[in-house]
Amino acid sequence: MIILFNLFYQFGDALSFLLLAAIGLAVIFGMMKIINLAHGEFITIGAYGTVVSAKILKLPLPIAMAVGVLVTVIFGYILERIIIRHLYGRPLDSVVATWGISLIVSQSFLVIFGPSFEGLQTPLSNFQLGAYSYSQYRLLLILISISILILLYILFLKSNFGTLARATIENPKIASTLGVKVDKVYTVTFCIGSALAGLTGAIYAPTMTIVPSIGQAFIVSAFVTVVTAGASPFIGLIPAASFLSLIQTSVTFYYHATIGVLALLFSVILIIRFLPKGFSGLLIKLKK
Amino acid sequence: MLKKDNIFTISVFIVLLIIPILFDDFYINNISYFMIWTFISLGLALIWGMGGILSFGQTAFFGLAGYSFAIISINFSDIYAVGIWSPILALAITAIFGAIVGYFLFYGGIYDVFIGIVTLAITLVLETFMAQTAGPEWTVGNARLNGFNGMQGMPPIGIKIGEYKFDLQGIGQYYFIVFLAMFLLWLLYKIKKSNFGLILLASKEDRTRVESLGHNVKKIQMITFSLSALLAGVSGILYTNWGGYITPSSMGLIASAMPVIWVAASGKNDFFSVFFGCILLVYISQTLAVNGAQYAIILMGLILVIVTRYFPEGIILMLKKLLTNKFLSKK
Repeated sequence: MIILFNLFYQFGDALSFLLLAAIGLAVIFGMMKIINLAHGEFITIGAYGTVVSAKILKLPLPIAMAVGVLVTVIFGYILERIIIRHLYGRPLDSVVATWGISLIVSQSFLVIFGPSFEGLQTPLSNFQLGAYSYSQYRLLLILISISILILLYILFLKSNFGTLARATIENPKIASTLGVKVDKVYTVTFCIGSALAGLTGAIYAPTMTIVPSIGQAFIVSAFVTVVTAGASPFIGLIPAASFLSLIQTSVTFYYHATIGVLALLFSVILIIRFLPKGFSGLLIKLKK
Repeated sequence: MLKKDNIFTISVFIVLLIIPILFDDFYINNISYFMIWTFISLGLALIWGMGGILSFGQTAFFGLAGYSFAIISINFSDIYAVGIWSPILALAITAIFGAIVGYFLFYGGIYDVFIGIVTLAITLVLETFMAQTAGPEWTVGNARLNGFNGMQGMPPIGIKIGEYKFDLQGIGQYYFIVFLAMFLLWLLYKIKKSNFGLILLASKEDRTRVESLGHNVKKIQMITFSLSALLAGVSGILYTNWGGYITPSSMGLIASAMPVIWVAASGKNDFFSVFFGCILLVYISQTLAVNGAQYAIILMGLILVIVTRYFPEGIILMLKKLLTNKFLSKK
């Protein structure tokens, strides 16, 4: 029983990490077909926004987290206005440009804040079960990641904005002749993606060492999850993240954490070799 | 024989050939270092500019070749002519690894931005793996991998025939790199003009159409990918030989961005522009790095953003076209 709970905890922890790392990237990629290579730096901005406002401005943690998200959204908005919007329809160029942005941001953080920054304590307490001790905050993260997904489903599948957004990805020209402000839909979608990345940084900030390369801890997980999720990340995200975290958790449980990460990446290579359209492609095929 | 196109190439190489007469060893070694990076850039220009396939993982091949060269030459340092065959063996390993990765990518039906992500993931896996090999249990034969501290102590490229000993260092290294660059540029132009190159160029525009004309596009892309890995490997081996060390950070996120920046800023569709621009940009970032590497990287990031936003063709290529039109087209 305790071993089962332990496995569930490890699995949930890995799953929520993959989901939260990938979700902002998945929204921007799924809706706009843009791979945002600066995604990791958006997470960094969210984390630093939170830590700086909690440590220096002495704000309480939830408000500090909200500040972190807000700063990331403002950054995303400015970026979309100045650069990203000129690169729609040039997917490779947008990847290259966002990579440049990622370099600028991460190195600027290094210049401004130095190689490391005093971190926060993990909120809530630990509890004991058998021989192991568990963090309540990490259990809360699992809940948060699932509720964010549910909210996104409602936003993109049930709300008015969701209808407009889906019409825009389906066919931007026809959507705009029907009166949809395509530009605005793109801007709002990019801001939602930025907000989610900022949120990931904000809620993981108390659990990690705050360094300028903090976003890099997320970026590989985010990319492999989105890649295995396939062309429609909204459908594929949950199966992809569950499958990958299942592999990572079980291999880590039996062997070693580094081998767990290697197994994760190796299985990604195998999945895209045999399921080039990812899990969403498989699900769509099965439905037909 | 002397075409308009070649005037820039020839004049740059004449300058490169007479540089050792004018400057001392310090500058020659530095210029060798700048030129070492042109090979990985040319490889990226081949796969990205001609093939339309953006690989972020060229540094994986760079590192693989560098590490293979180090491991092989340290282990077999007693065997005759190790300085000749160990780099060749390391290049072969790199090309085979490139072909395997290419097989997975192209026969697996992975395209566009996904190729970038997968190749980036491969680089980061190699970096993460090599970085945790600091402990004494990580050895290959006599060679300790040494984790983040990097490997050193490998014998240089070279050969000893009887009394006469030739090492690839100093001015010998300089001329070797210049002639190798000349040869490879010529070879790449030949590839561009060949049937193979034309099919590759066409596949960039429309893959399905070229396939329906009966060409095996996947195979051609796989071979090109392997060739570009080989070119990245040339840089990796020369780099390891130049400084006598190789570290995992040469495969990290920032290191793998650099070739993309050099190639994009110079002009990915023209091999000469990439060669010249790469030397120039490495020189600029080295000069800036004196005041702190962060500032050089921020500038490189800015160049990348501005170039993709305003000069998608590349700055060097644009200047070259401008000069050609201004001075050479009036006949």
